[in-house]
Amino acid sequence: MSWSAWKANWQNFRRGSAHVLTMNQRNLHFIYPNNARKHFPIADNKLLTKQILGASGVPVPETYQSYSSFFELRSLEQDLAPCHEFVIKPAQGSGGGGIVVISEKTEDGWRSVSGHHYTAADLRRHIADIIFGVYSFGLSDHAIIEARVDQHTELNELSPFGLTDVRIIVCHHQPVLSMLRVPTKASDGKANLHQGALGIGIDIETGCGIHAIHHGEALTHHPDTHIDLLGRNLPFWDEILRISCQAAQAVPLKYLGIDLAIANDGPLILEINVRPGIEIQNANMLGMRPLLKQIAAPDQQLETVRNSL
Amino acid sequence: MPNRRFFFLTLFALLIAAPLGLISYKLLVLDYRMADLIPATSYHVDINMTVDGHGDDISMHTYLPKSDPRQHITEETQTSGDFRLDINSDPLNRIATWKAEAVEGPQSVHYSFVVQAQHVQYRIPTGLQIPKSYPPQLAPYLRAEEGVQVNDPLIDEAIDKIIPQRDIPISELLTRMHRYLQDELRNKNFSGYTDAITAYKLGEASCNGKGRLFVAMARKMNLPARSVSGLIMKSGNKRVSHQWVEIYVNGYWVPFDTINDHFAELPANFLTLYYGDEVLFRHSRNINFQYSFQITKKLVPKSSLREHIGDSMLNIANLYQTFESVGISQNLLKIILMIPFGALVTVIFRNVIGIETFGTFLPALIASAARDTGLLWGAIGFVMVIVLTALIRRGMDWLQLLHSPKMAILLTSVVMIILGATVLSVQFGLGQLAHLSLFPIAILAITAERFAIFEAEQGLYKAARVTVATLVVIAAAYTVMESQFLQSMVLAFPELLFVLIALNMWLGKWIGMRISEFVRFRKLIWSEAAK
Repeated sequence: MSWSAWKANWQNFRRGSAHVLTMNQRNLHFIYPNNARKHFPIADNKLLTKQILGASGVPVPETYQSYSSFFELRSLEQDLAPCHEFVIKPAQGSGGGGIVVISEKTEDGWRSVSGHHYTAADLRRHIADIIFGVYSFGLSDHAIIEARVDQHTELNELSPFGLTDVRIIVCHHQPVLSMLRVPTKASDGKANLHQGALGIGIDIETGCGIHAIHHGEALTHHPDTHIDLLGRNLPFWDEILRISCQAAQAVPLKYLGIDLAIANDGPLILEINVRPGIEIQNANMLGMRPLLKQIAAPDQQLETVRNSL
Repeated sequence: MPNRRFFFLTLFALLIAAPLGLISYKLLVLDYRMADLIPATSYHVDINMTVDGHGDDISMHTYLPKSDPRQHITEETQTSGDFRLDINSDPLNRIATWKAEAVEGPQSVHYSFVVQAQHVQYRIPTGLQIPKSYPPQLAPYLRAEEGVQVNDPLIDEAIDKIIPQRDIPISELLTRMHRYLQDELRNKNFSGYTDAITAYKLGEASCNGKGRLFVAMARKMNLPARSVSGLIMKSGNKRVSHQWVEIYVNGYWVPFDTINDHFAELPANFLTLYYGDEVLFRHSRNINFQYSFQITKKLVPKSSLREHIGDSMLNIANLYQTFESVGISQNLLKIILMIPFGALVTVIFRNVIGIETFGTFLPALIASAARDTGLLWGAIGFVMVIVLTALIRRGMDWLQLLHSPKMAILLTSVVMIILGATVLSVQFGLGQLAHLSLFPIAILAITAERFAIFEAEQGLYKAARVTVATLVVIAAAYTVMESQFLQSMVLAFPELLFVLIALNMWLGKWIGMRISEFVRFRKLIWSEAAK
């Protein structure tokens, strides 16, 4: 390659890089100025998140119980007796650690979606672990018992291995990028890209899948079921955008990753994240920086999706 | 916010300008010499002696080196176990005596020190004649003694052969003697005792035979002479000591080595242990006495730096004295002063290169602890502690314990692994591993926990990858923190730490793409570039 071709390539590369939000810039220009440290608990503590969002009318999974101390567990068996399907999660867990999804009641206990059997004593011990902070970096924690979200039937074909969730980056109350995270066999039912879930970039205006990645590599078909991943419209897309913005306005945090599940009767917000990852750019094959620039410079603001709703 | 920007820039400028000003002041006004900041070669020498006791009292003696204008001895440390160490000095030598009563079983004694020595060379004035008489204190260096048969006719015979016309200047005389011993008398690799006459008769000798013959001939010619024993310092383990001679010429003791052909000179890697024709080790009988010298070459700040800094005012030397008065040595201070450099290295690896490691500053802390073990053993120790502790955590997962007690058990395990490694390494003579005790124990316990979580949640591959990345950063931090130049600089100019703060401020505002992100987003970058 000639020198001038190298130079042109390099300039192209620099121009392309300028469109990509980096980790350093995310932290310095978006998280620190928009999310005050003192408000982090609103996102980091899922119990608090649900209380605040629920109070402002944002749909969230119903909380059955929460436990914050060991002696409250004495009533655990009575509390759980009427429940057949529920989720146990640590209020301040991260990366999906400590989450148990119960799908049915058995004679002497419960069965999880992964087929594991739990007696009441097993659950008590697991909840005690959560309370003592096993899944929350050594801090004491609350255990939440909440309704299990039943995935929208339209999504069952796309995501047969577990609950798929939608991640939307919201900056200054405006949706920026979104993706659908689809569990695979390899990810063991977890919608976590690091663990092998698929990331499908979703067009923010239409709710249609436009690009997909698996372990950082682009693909068009599901590695397990081989169905086409792209070109599908997510159900309730307008509603998803509406409640995401509603949730963003309910909290004093201005740069958020909002995670939602889609049930048959509409979307629900599962959690909000004050440090949303930047891999979503790869899932969409779209750099975030120009989009964020538009939002951060209000006088040049173009007509945004939210205004058009 | 313009105010914040103004404050940032002002502070940044101040943090750069103030130290630079101070450094210029020290260099220009206080006359710090940059040449002193260039590190010098030094050797760490560890004398290791082992004995087997059978219930009897044991005593052992050896000579310890003294600082003199040619060699500088520092950082002397010792471990004597059951033995009591006494050090007695006479005007020439320092004699160490270890004593213990009713010794049973194998015992070992270590004495180590750091030597920084200079190459010396003497020029002997050409016309100088042998004096007729000397001050009385030199009399012992002219007498015959055991092994040095000054008055034996064979010595006369030897001198007649080398110097038929005896009234020649000292320089000519010494040149001939030196050439004879170096060229005519074959070098023999023999560790036993050879007296002057035997060496002459055999026509070959090792260092002690040649030395005695040299001393005998010099004394016969009325030149005061003495033998010197010491070590030729070279990295590695050795048992062989060396002997050379010094001749008193014109008020100086001038060294000669007729094995390695050093005429009136001594290289910088010669360590003088003692003067006089004595044996290096004396000890009780039947104790299976063994010894060895473990020698490691390293670079250290010049000793003249430490002394020179002490002379001037506005000076850290005074500060250092304050620290020393509370038991913080300059050596420890140096380690502490280097930790911010290690931290800067880890910041660069995280924010500029984009390498994920266990713990933010763990690599810098391990690197500073590895100073005593060496990088290789530090890395081996680190991996060993992490993997063993993670295995123990696995076991406890199975036992199903609550978090805090589990962490306390992990901490205890780290302590036990480190102590066990120390005991085993002493047993098997892996001296370096014994220094693992300086590892930051609590941080290692947390790291082992994180390793185990990584391993459980993201697989062994990911955990191993982060471990390797951590080792890479440890190695980088170690290399920077062991840089003798930086060590000398920060000891002389501790105000450089302000510059480090400024650099970190700059990195703290740097929003560029990490190198790892170029890889991660390479396809996206090209796709964006094509738009």
